[in-house]
Amino acid sequence: MDNAIMSAASLHRTLPALPGQHSRPVFRSKTRLVRCSNERQVLFDRIAPVYDNLNDLLTVGQHRIWKRMAISWSGAKKGDNVLDVCCGTGDLAFLLSEKVGPTGKVVGLDFSKQQLLIASSRQHSQSKTCYENIKWIEGNAIDLPFPESSFDAVTIGYGLGNVVDRLKVLEEVCRVLKPGSKVSALDFNKSTNPFSTSFQEWMIDYVVVPAADIYGLANEYRYLKRSINEFLTGKELERLALNAGFCSAKHFETGGGLMGNLVAVRYGYIP
Amino acid sequence: MLRFGRVLFKEAGTGISKTLSEILVCPLSKQPLRVCEKTNSLISDSIGVSYPVVDGIPRLVPSNGKIIDDEEASNSNSAVDPDAVKNDHQRCSS
Repeated sequence: MDNAIMSAASLHRTLPALPGQHSRPVFRSKTRLVRCSNERQVLFDRIAPVYDNLNDLLTVGQHRIWKRMAISWSGAKKGDNVLDVCCGTGDLAFLLSEKVGPTGKVVGLDFSKQQLLIASSRQHSQSKTCYENIKWIEGNAIDLPFPESSFDAVTIGYGLGNVVDRLKVLEEVCRVLKPGSKVSALDFNKSTNPFSTSFQEWMIDYVVVPAADIYGLANEYRYLKRSINEFLTGKELERLALNAGFCSAKHFETGGGLMGNLVAVRYGYIP
Repeated sequence: MLRFGRVLFKEAGTGISKTLSEILVCPLSKQPLRVCEKTNSLISDSIGVSYPVVDGIPRLVPSNGKIIDDEEASNSNSAVDPDAVKNDHQRCSS
């Protein structure tokens, strides 16, 4: 999950109302889960302003390493056309842009308009001309607006764990990948190791949530812990990718077991 | 902030680039989209839906689509029910 810092004074303590509801105080029921796609979109719109720099704070900059590894696993190279699904504020898209260079093309897709506006702002505030090869699309990962076999590589950063229908997303990603190309999906790891699970929960409870609380977003980050409980393990993700139509799938644990990266290949590639 | 605003205005003024329109399809029908410069939108002729382009960013979430006939007739802003559009598309295709 990506996040950026903004002044605490400018944050509203009352959440914007969801459709059909009145404004609610920040501290709502801890047991309420954010289930449907609309609610998740509202959540990510809400935390968009405090997205990016919180990652640096909470991961001590490690997230940059994990993201670079995700790019490497995707197989993206100079001149490629690549897609970043659930692009958020654009971290992976910018890395892809540097990788594919001016002769390549990057498309960043997200369902949060607010996140995309920040991504676009970051793009235009940079002096690097290679970032001109990035286009932003507001779209839903379960209904990708691209023809079949469009991309040489696809990345998903902290998105697969947040979508409502992971199988459908992987099926769509498989559809838009060129034969022989890969998807690289980085996300929190649902470990089968009790020690890793305990350490992850401790990090969220005693590091992530208190840091988010400073910006009035404690509940949004408590969602993170509940959503990780609903994740799939590495083996389950591998099986899901195969069911989605990929010919091979492998899940790698990184960040001391806190993070995981799924790499799957559309048919046509022999490793 | 002002420079950012100018950049967005320029992007919105020029609308969607031809290059971008060539790589996009309707998220529901997966058929090609047509650029409508007058309304700054992308038209899916296969299902009769238009998707807006706002601040240079195509809004291709299915629920952002507007059925063209309804929009022309009543000048309303009713949103598309993706399931209804999908059912219409499937009936037309069968």
